[in-house]
Amino acid sequence: MPDPVVHVAELTKIYKVPEREAGLRAAAKALFKRQTRDVRAVEAISFDIGPGEIVGFLGPNGAGKTTTLKMLAGLLYPTSGEARVLGHIPSKREREYLRRMTMVMGNRNQLQWDIPALDSFELNRAIYRLQRDDYLAMRDELVELLDVGDLVRKPVRNLSLGERMKVEIVGALLHRPQVLFLDEPTIGLDVTMQKRIRTFIDEYNRRHGATVLLTSHYMADVEALCKRVIVIHHGRILFDGALAALADEFAAYKTIGVVLENGGAPLDAYGEVVLNEGDRVSIRVPKAETSRVAARLLAEHEVLDLTIEEPPIEDVIESVFAQPAAQ
Amino acid sequence: MSVDVARLPEAGRWRSLYDFYVTTMRTAIASQLQYRVTNYFYMLGMIAEPVVYLVVWTTIAKDQGGAVNGITTGEFAAYYIVWTLVRNMNIVFGAPFWEERIREGRLAGDLLKPMYILHYDLAYFAGWKFVVVVLWLPIAFGLSAVFHPTLSPTPLEIVVFIFAIWGAYLVRSMFQGTIGMLNFWTTRGAAVFDLYIATEMLLSGRLVPLQLMPGWVQTLANFLPFKWTFGFPIESLVGNLSTRDLLLGLCAQALWIGIGLVLFKVAWSSAIKRFVSVGN
Amino acid sequence: MSSLRVGWLFLRMGVINELQYRVNFFVQLLQSLIQVGTALVMLELVYSHTNALNGWTQPELLSLIGVQVLLGGFIHTFIQPNMQQLMQDVQQGTLDYALTKPEDAQLLISVRMVRIWQVVEIVSGVILLFVGLAGVENSIGVGDAIAFGIALLIGGVLVYCFWLVMTTGAFWVVRMENVLELFEGIYQTGRWPVTVYPGWLRYSVTFLVPIGFAVTVPAEALTSRLQWPTLVFALGFGCAAFAFTRWFWHFGLRHYSGASA
Repeated sequence: MPDPVVHVAELTKIYKVPEREAGLRAAAKALFKRQTRDVRAVEAISFDIGPGEIVGFLGPNGAGKTTTLKMLAGLLYPTSGEARVLGHIPSKREREYLRRMTMVMGNRNQLQWDIPALDSFELNRAIYRLQRDDYLAMRDELVELLDVGDLVRKPVRNLSLGERMKVEIVGALLHRPQVLFLDEPTIGLDVTMQKRIRTFIDEYNRRHGATVLLTSHYMADVEALCKRVIVIHHGRILFDGALAALADEFAAYKTIGVVLENGGAPLDAYGEVVLNEGDRVSIRVPKAETSRVAARLLAEHEVLDLTIEEPPIEDVIESVFAQPAAQ
Repeated sequence: MSVDVARLPEAGRWRSLYDFYVTTMRTAIASQLQYRVTNYFYMLGMIAEPVVYLVVWTTIAKDQGGAVNGITTGEFAAYYIVWTLVRNMNIVFGAPFWEERIREGRLAGDLLKPMYILHYDLAYFAGWKFVVVVLWLPIAFGLSAVFHPTLSPTPLEIVVFIFAIWGAYLVRSMFQGTIGMLNFWTTRGAAVFDLYIATEMLLSGRLVPLQLMPGWVQTLANFLPFKWTFGFPIESLVGNLSTRDLLLGLCAQALWIGIGLVLFKVAWSSAIKRFVSVGN
Repeated sequence: MSSLRVGWLFLRMGVINELQYRVNFFVQLLQSLIQVGTALVMLELVYSHTNALNGWTQPELLSLIGVQVLLGGFIHTFIQPNMQQLMQDVQQGTLDYALTKPEDAQLLISVRMVRIWQVVEIVSGVILLFVGLAGVENSIGVGDAIAFGIALLIGGVLVYCFWLVMTTGAFWVVRMENVLELFEGIYQTGRWPVTVYPGWLRYSVTFLVPIGFAVTVPAEALTSRLQWPTLVFALGFGCAAFAFTRWFWHFGLRHYSGASA
């Protein structure tokens, strides 16, 4: 196995949050002795990501996803543990490292607001010390891939949210980074635009062999792009593996769909009936009992068709996040 | 599937830095030109300050038979009109801008890039100056028509003045930037910034020409950075400084730029440590 | 009378909100001290070179500065925060929230915010005023005091009108941030009696930007300079300014609704 591009071991981030009681006396006391409370945003997480992998980082708001990404991008200093990206320690913020990675935050704008994106690109060329030929080749490639030829000539503030995200991405990739940290890159975008961005990330990954770590609230993004997901909740990793295996591990239920010869027979005894359309019935049953229930159905009814389905990924995720913090 | 993982070669360091400054300055000019109205508001608000001082001292000078401490009404007019240009050059990326940069989350974006933070601010505001000076010209003409300044600079004085206003820009950038770092620790630094500005008012020649101050204040001012951001550039053009004083003044500016840079670097490195450990 | 109650409720809410940030009191105190200190140094410098500025002695001018600081405190406490909020609302389109309330919109946008710690500035203005008056030779009669009260009230109204007219401009010119700098700059002209300014400037700061007017007239009342006709004129001017502002506000509002529909 090749060396991992991202190596994270026992990475921990604890924020100290000032805390004080109301009232003037408490306020005065706080001037001398600050009361703080520890908030454990990320707790001893470990994972490796290999070259060219696209990994989805899943978790509810406040799970520690952004904190982790920021530590990997060198914006936050870890409290303890180890993070290495491309052999660099991110918190040192070495130039060599910054030149090889990028971070895109869906709700932040890094381009100059009042001027065409093209001018901001020029600025990035100088900042990243790119040679003109490389810069032009990369810029034209990205502009074509995202189809933003007209947009880059307009002032950024005149672009719609989706258009802005596209040129934002061009700006963030001009230096052809090998590692991409994408924090909610599709947030607030409509479905078509989400799909567009998704296809692009996939294409960039294939062309340049870049490693991508991506967070998103939209399961469609994750399903389309990521073979592997890491689920983080309350600062801890709950699952790290293939997306398909996630359902196996966490889904408590499966759905048995049957089409009956003698439609309308009551099937409540087999499980929770979630759909009943004449002869088509769907029953939700605990995972462990799936095969037993299916066998019973086949034995006791005239079954024309029987399917066993995993629950939708959204439901699986929801059941994962419903777990309490303490384990 | 063709995969290229090789990193891109680097262009030359100085060449890139030069490109960066030129591009940023062009950017600043382009975006500030779009906001002529708001730039003019700013400028009109700003010239009220020297006009008030000028009117007050002109009134006094007239009462006293034409001069105060040897400064004539025409010289007051010259002082405060040049003042407006120097003041424009003196607008730097200071404390309020730092506050905004942190609050609006733009700092994180800047930190992701391999460029020392000071370059962004120096370059952008330097570009802005060109817009400001163009907008300033009609104001200068207007003020001159009303207040009749006496101004007869020598070529040397003009050359020194051109260097001195950029020197003032750099000195003030360093010191204001350093003060701006306070924003990393508190959101209520306003009183400290006000204190800095008040000290500057009195010891820089911003409020009144230093000649009108008591002797000990003038001596004190020589050893502090403030004078080199206001009084010196103005007097290099309107005063009768000797060649020696003109050159010494430029040296003093260079010295304060150096001291300011060291202070800025120290403040920034501890500010960034603070930023990456609290993060927001 | 319901509008008065609304105003009162908003005021109370603003005060309660601000009381949470007590540190601001000390920050404000320090800022006021610095501001007053700078003004005093300037005053001292001026009078070290002359005995009277345009007929105003040092204590008289000190009371004028007192009025300017006092009125400035009033502006910073009640007017400016509301106007800045309004500007922001127009920019971000959040003014809709205020406009959809069943109450006079001008009233609502004028009383939403209050920065109560800026009251420190009002207090320091009053102190300067009294210190100045103590040094003034002729005594102040009841008539002068009443005239002062009326003149100060008119001054407040004029400044409010000016601010609202400027801010209403945001309906057309969306980027107005620097209006604050513009106003703060021009407000500094109020620190000196309007009569020192050359003709064109005197008329500007009297009628166009009624800062000089708002500060000088009350100070004149206290230093027995005020003629009754001036006060009557000021009263008429204040009413006219208010009527115009109200009309202009409604005019601007139509523009806003038109733009967002």
